[in-house]
Amino acid sequence: MSDKILHRPPDLDLFATDQPRLEDALSRRIGADPENVERGLAQLVLTIVELLRQLMERQALRRIDAGGLSDAQVERLGTTFMELDRRMEELRGEFGLEPEDLNIDLGPLGRLL
Amino acid sequence: VIELFAITRAQEPPPPPPLRVLVAGGLGAVVGPVEDEEVTADALWHHEQIVEALMADRDVLPARYGTRFEHDEDAAQAVAARRATLSAALDRVHGAVELSVRAVKAEPLTTHSALVALARDAKQLEPQAPDEILRAAYLVDRDAVGAFTARVADLQAAQPDAQILCTGPWPPYSFTEQ
Repeated sequence: MSDKILHRPPDLDLFATDQPRLEDALSRRIGADPENVERGLAQLVLTIVELLRQLMERQALRRIDAGGLSDAQVERLGTTFMELDRRMEELRGEFGLEPEDLNIDLGPLGRLL
Repeated sequence: VIELFAITRAQEPPPPPPLRVLVAGGLGAVVGPVEDEEVTADALWHHEQIVEALMADRDVLPARYGTRFEHDEDAAQAVAARRATLSAALDRVHGAVELSVRAVKAEPLTTHSALVALARDAKQLEPQAPDEILRAAYLVDRDAVGAFTARVADLQAAQPDAQILCTGPWPPYSFTEQ
């Protein structure tokens, strides 16, 4: 892109810091950095698991709202989802992922979760 | 699936194939086939080159990389729905290009105000690099680019410790929205 430089400062290298930032942003987006493949894969799998977990939780809440479940069943569902949530947190911790990492940017459609 | 490259006025010369113009609401949406599935620096440059080629002989509102539509009608509909906003934006950038300036160890106010005086509009962005004191985009008349570049050189000469980088001309990415 050197033909786009209209005025070149004495020390052009000072401004080269954006290049790694761009490459970082690109590789994060397509997950192509070999050293991060494992973490990227875990991130993808956990995102899908998190999506399923949220869908199940919503479905369960809907059934509870509809009143078709006994108190004992509601209690058990509650415990199950708390346990899933805790387990999810552990798995995230193992791969050094934050809750906001478990998402997929779908571009114009917004975000998955 | 088609990719949107830029919005122009409807009555512009046809772009080179495989680009096509979809006319909607007095505006033209320049679209083409999706060529790069993977997001790479090269893909971004390819998109940029297409928009720059269009910019050479017409006013453009550049589309953000990756703006895609399933069908022609979807793109036309999206443009028609924003007709007033897009048309006003085209008026704003008429006959102008974007120049980018980044400065290290310069006097920010002096530098910026000297450049704003030659620009139609300016947008200051958050500095990103260490010691960066100015990062701004200027909307400059096409025939004032030379004067603007000369002013940058003057500012550089007047501030021996400063480092001022000026790039362009770019499509008016920073001025498509008010």
